[in-house]
Amino acid sequence: MKRFTLLIMSVSLLFAFSCGKSGDKLKPGDTIKIGFLGPMTGDAGNYGKLMSQAVKIAVEEQNAAGGIEGHKIQLIVEDTEGKVEKANPAIEKLAGVDKVFGIVGSVFSSCSLAVAPKAEASKIVMISPSSTHKDLPGKGKYIFRDVMSDALQSTVFGKYLAQVEKVKKVAILYVKNDYSQGLALDFKTEFEKNGGTVVAVETALQGDKDFKTQLTKIKGTNPEALYVPNYVAEIAQILEQAKQLGIKVKIYSADGFSNPQIFELAGDLANGVIYTNAAERKASKGKVEFMKKYSSKWKENPDAFSLNAYDGAKLILAAIKKSVKKESDGSLSIDRAAIQKAVAVTKDYDGVSGNITFTAEGDLVANIGIYTVENKKYKQIKTFKLDGEKLVEIK
Amino acid sequence: MLDFILLIVIYIIIYSISSLGLNLIVGYTGMLSLCQAAFMGIGAYSTAVLMTAGHMDFWLALLSSGAIAALCGILIGIPTLRLRGDYLAIATLGFGEIVKNVILNWDSVTKGPMGINGIPGPSLFGYTFTSMEKLPWLFLLLFFLAATYMLIRVMIRSRVGRALEAIREDEIAASAMGINIAKYKVGVFTTGAFCGGLAGSFFAAYSQSVAPLTFDFMMSIMILCMVVLGGLGNSFATVIGTVLIVIASELPRLLGISHIIPAQMNQILFGFILVFMMIYRPQGIIGRIKLNYGKMMKDEILHMER
Amino acid sequence: MDLFNIPANELIQHLINGLTLGAIYSLIALGYTMVYGILKFINFAHGEILMLGTYSGYFLYYMLCDPTKGGSYVIIAFAVSLLFAMIISAILGITIERIAYKPLRKAPRLAPLLSAIGVSIILMNLASLMFGTKSKKFDYPFDNTPIHFGDASITPNQIMILVVGLIMMVSLKLFVDRSRLGKAMRATSENQAVAALMGINVNSIISLTFAIGSALAAVAGILIAMEFKVYPTMGQLAGLKAFIAAVVGGIGNITGAMVGGILLGLLETFGVVIIGIPQGLKDTIAFSVLIIILLVKPSGLLIKNRREKV
Repeated sequence: MKRFTLLIMSVSLLFAFSCGKSGDKLKPGDTIKIGFLGPMTGDAGNYGKLMSQAVKIAVEEQNAAGGIEGHKIQLIVEDTEGKVEKANPAIEKLAGVDKVFGIVGSVFSSCSLAVAPKAEASKIVMISPSSTHKDLPGKGKYIFRDVMSDALQSTVFGKYLAQVEKVKKVAILYVKNDYSQGLALDFKTEFEKNGGTVVAVETALQGDKDFKTQLTKIKGTNPEALYVPNYVAEIAQILEQAKQLGIKVKIYSADGFSNPQIFELAGDLANGVIYTNAAERKASKGKVEFMKKYSSKWKENPDAFSLNAYDGAKLILAAIKKSVKKESDGSLSIDRAAIQKAVAVTKDYDGVSGNITFTAEGDLVANIGIYTVENKKYKQIKTFKLDGEKLVEIK
Repeated sequence: MLDFILLIVIYIIIYSISSLGLNLIVGYTGMLSLCQAAFMGIGAYSTAVLMTAGHMDFWLALLSSGAIAALCGILIGIPTLRLRGDYLAIATLGFGEIVKNVILNWDSVTKGPMGINGIPGPSLFGYTFTSMEKLPWLFLLLFFLAATYMLIRVMIRSRVGRALEAIREDEIAASAMGINIAKYKVGVFTTGAFCGGLAGSFFAAYSQSVAPLTFDFMMSIMILCMVVLGGLGNSFATVIGTVLIVIASELPRLLGISHIIPAQMNQILFGFILVFMMIYRPQGIIGRIKLNYGKMMKDEILHMER
Repeated sequence: MDLFNIPANELIQHLINGLTLGAIYSLIALGYTMVYGILKFINFAHGEILMLGTYSGYFLYYMLCDPTKGGSYVIIAFAVSLLFAMIISAILGITIERIAYKPLRKAPRLAPLLSAIGVSIILMNLASLMFGTKSKKFDYPFDNTPIHFGDASITPNQIMILVVGLIMMVSLKLFVDRSRLGKAMRATSENQAVAALMGINVNSIISLTFAIGSALAAVAGILIAMEFKVYPTMGQLAGLKAFIAAVVGGIGNITGAMVGGILLGLLETFGVVIIGIPQGLKDTIAFSVLIIILLVKPSGLLIKNRREKV
C-alpha cells in the first residue's frame, strides 16, 4: 500500500507544476507552428512521407519569403501510423504542446473523423489532403478538405453506369475498410436508384489475398460488370483470380486504382479497367513548377494527394498571414477565428492540384473524370459534374 | 507540455487496469492468454454503442461493459480452460481475431470499419469530463486503478490466491487436494476479462472514439509485455512494467521524433522483451513478491504442468 | 443436379478452391508438426521462417532472370532460387532454435512459448522494415494458363501445390519411419534423456528437425507466393491456420497434418458457401474447429487418445 501512496503523491506533484494557458501571442523570435498529421511509418508510411514532403516545400517557400511578419514558420510532423489510437495522442501533442495554428491532415478518414472534434475544440484549422469519407464535412467549422468526396465519386459513377453505359446488373466486391465500404455502399444506393440491379455484394477483410470463394459466387449470379472500389493490392489479386476463374465481365473501380503500382502487380490485366478520379485539368504553370521542385528536392515524384497537401499548407499559411496583428509591445497576436474565416471563404483558388472552392461545410467542389487504362497507361475519357441531381458532361 | 505528460499518465493508468487483469490470468494462475486486447475491445465497443446509440449514462455503461467482457470471459473460458497451456494460447489468439472480425463486420451496431465517434464524456455531480481537461480524468482513473489493485490484492491474499498458486504449481496435485480447478480458472479468466472491459470502457470514453483495428493482436502482445517485463505474478511489478512500456511507446512523440522512428521499432522492442526476459530474467525486472508461504525457486515461477 | 441450391459446376469450382486452400495449409502444417512432434512446443516463428525463406528466394530469382520472358533459363534460375531459399530457411531455423529456444528447453512450458512469440514478432517487423509492406509479385516459371473443364477451372500452380504437398508428405513420412535419422528423431521425441543415453546426439537431431521443417516452409512459401504474392505478414495467419490443421489431424502426425490441412480448407470454403457464414467471419471457422477438436478429441483425428500422465 505504501507503494501506491507513493504513486499518488508523484502524480499530485505533476499537478503542482500545472500552469495557466498562454494566449496565442508570439514573442519576437518565436516560430509560427503548423502541423502535419499522417502515417509516417508503418504500413501506410509512404503516403504520409510523400504528403509531408509537399508541406515542407510550402513551409520553406514561406520562410524564404521572410516568413510571416518576420516570424519563421515551423512544421511539426506527427506520426499516426494510420491508426486511430495513435492519431489521438498525436493531435493532443499538436494542440496541447505545440499549439499549432493549422494542420494539414489527417490522411485516413477514420483518423480524421476521430481527431476532428479535438481540432475543432482547440480552434485549429485542419485541411485534409486525402480523407475522402462522406461524413467528414460538417464535423466542424474548422474542418476542411481539398480532396474529392467519396460520396460525389460514387454518386456520379452510379449515375454514369446506369445512364451512360446503360449497365443493368452489377456485382460488388469490396474490402472492409473505411474507404472501400463507403464507396461500395453509396454506389449501390445510387445505382439502384437509377434503375440498376446489384446482383451480389461480397466482402473481404483487409489483407486478404484469396478472393476465389467470393468470385466464384459472383460468377454464379451472371453480372454484366464487377465493381471493385479497393486499393491496388486487392484489385490486382481480384483481376488475376477473376481471370483464372474465367470471369470475363467489365471491371470498374475508383480512385484507389490510380496508384501506378497496379501495373507492377497486375501487368496487362489492368488494361481496360474503367475507374473514377478527380478530373484532371490541363497542367497549370504552378503545377509544372511544383512537380519539378518536388522531384529535384526529394528525388521522387509526388502523388495526387501530395498536390492537395501542398495546396492545403499554402491555404493555411495565407490565412495565418491575414490573421496576424503586431501588438504595441512587439509581440504578434494571431486570431484563430480569423484563420478559420480566411480559409472558409476560399473560392477559385488556383492551386497546383486544381481549382479549390470550399462548400459551406468545408468540402471541395470538384468535377469527376472517368478514366481507363490503355497499354498500361491511364487515360481520361470523360468528365462529369453534378448539377443538383443531374449528371452533366463537361466537354 | 504538462498536458501531454498527463495524457501519458492517463494511458498508463488505463493500461494498468487491463494489465493487472492479465497478470491475474498469466502471472498468478499460469495460463497464457493472448486476447486481453479483445476484452478491452469488447469493453470499449460496449461503452461506445451503449452511450451513443443507447444514450446510456457512462457509469451504467461502464459497469455493463465490464459485465459484457466478463461474460465473454466465461464463454471463452469454459470450453478452452480444459486445454493445455500452448493450446490455450492459440485458442485465445483465435478468440481475439474473432472479436476483431465481429466488430469489423457487424455494421449495424459497430459501424464496421468506420468506428464510432463522438462518444460523450462521463459526468459526475454535474461535472462533465472531457479529454481537454486531463486532471479530473486522472483522479477518476486513479481511483479505479486503486480499486482494481486492492481487489486483486485481497483476492490473492485470500484462500483464492493460495488455490491459484497451487493450480499454477501443479494442477494434478491441486486437484487431488480438492481444489475445483475449473471453477478457479474460469473465475480468474472472468475477473481478468472484467478488468480488460473496464479499461476498454475508459479507453473509449477518454478518446471519445473507437476503431475496430485498435484492439488487435499487437495490443494483446503489448499488454503481455507489460506483465512479463514487470514480473509475472506481482501486481506492483505489473504497474511498473506498464509505466515503462507506455513511456517507451510515447517517448518518440515526446521528443518530437515520432515521424522518423519507424512504427515497427516498438513491436521489435516488444519481441526482444519477450525473448530476452524469458532467457535471462524470467521473473521480470522487479521479480515476484514473496508470499507468506512456500519457497520460490526461479524455475518454478513459470511452472505450469510439466 | 443442384445441391444446396448451388449449381453443380459452381460447386465443383468451390471444391477446387477449398482443396487448393487446404493444400496450402497442409504444406505449412508439415513443418509445424515435425517440430511439435519432437519438442512438444509450438514454433510460433514457423510462419516467419517461411516468409523470410520466400523473400530470399524471390530476391535471388529476380536477380538471376526476368521470369516474364520464360524459357529454360528461367526454370533453372527458379530451381536455384528454390534451393537457396531452402538453405536460408534451414539456417534461420537452426539459428533461432539455438538462440531463443535451446536455453529454455528445460524451462517450464510458458517460457519457450513466449520466447517463440517474441521471435515471430521481431522477424515479421524486421522484414517489413527492410523489404517494405507492399506485396511483391512472384511469377510462376512455367505456363500458368488456367485449365478449364466445363465452367470450372484450375491453374497449373494450384495443381503444383497439391502435388508437391503430397510428395512432401510421403517423402517426409518415409524419412521419419524408415531412415536411421528418422528413428533417432522418433527416439528423441519419445524421451530426450533416454535417447541421449542410447548414443543419440539430441542437439543435432533437434537442429536437423528444425532444418528440415524450415526448408519445407521455404518450399511452401514459394508456392504460396506464386499464388498470393510475397509480403511480410504472409506467414502470420496462414501459419496459425496451418497449426490448427496440424492439431486437427493430430499434431506430431505427418499424414494427419496433410489430412487436417485439406479438411480445414474445405471446411472454410464450404462453411461460407453452404452454411452461409459471412465472409468476414471465415476465420471463425478455423478457430471453432480447433476448440471443438481439442474438446472432443484432443489428440487429433488420426491419433488414438492418450491420457495425460503425471
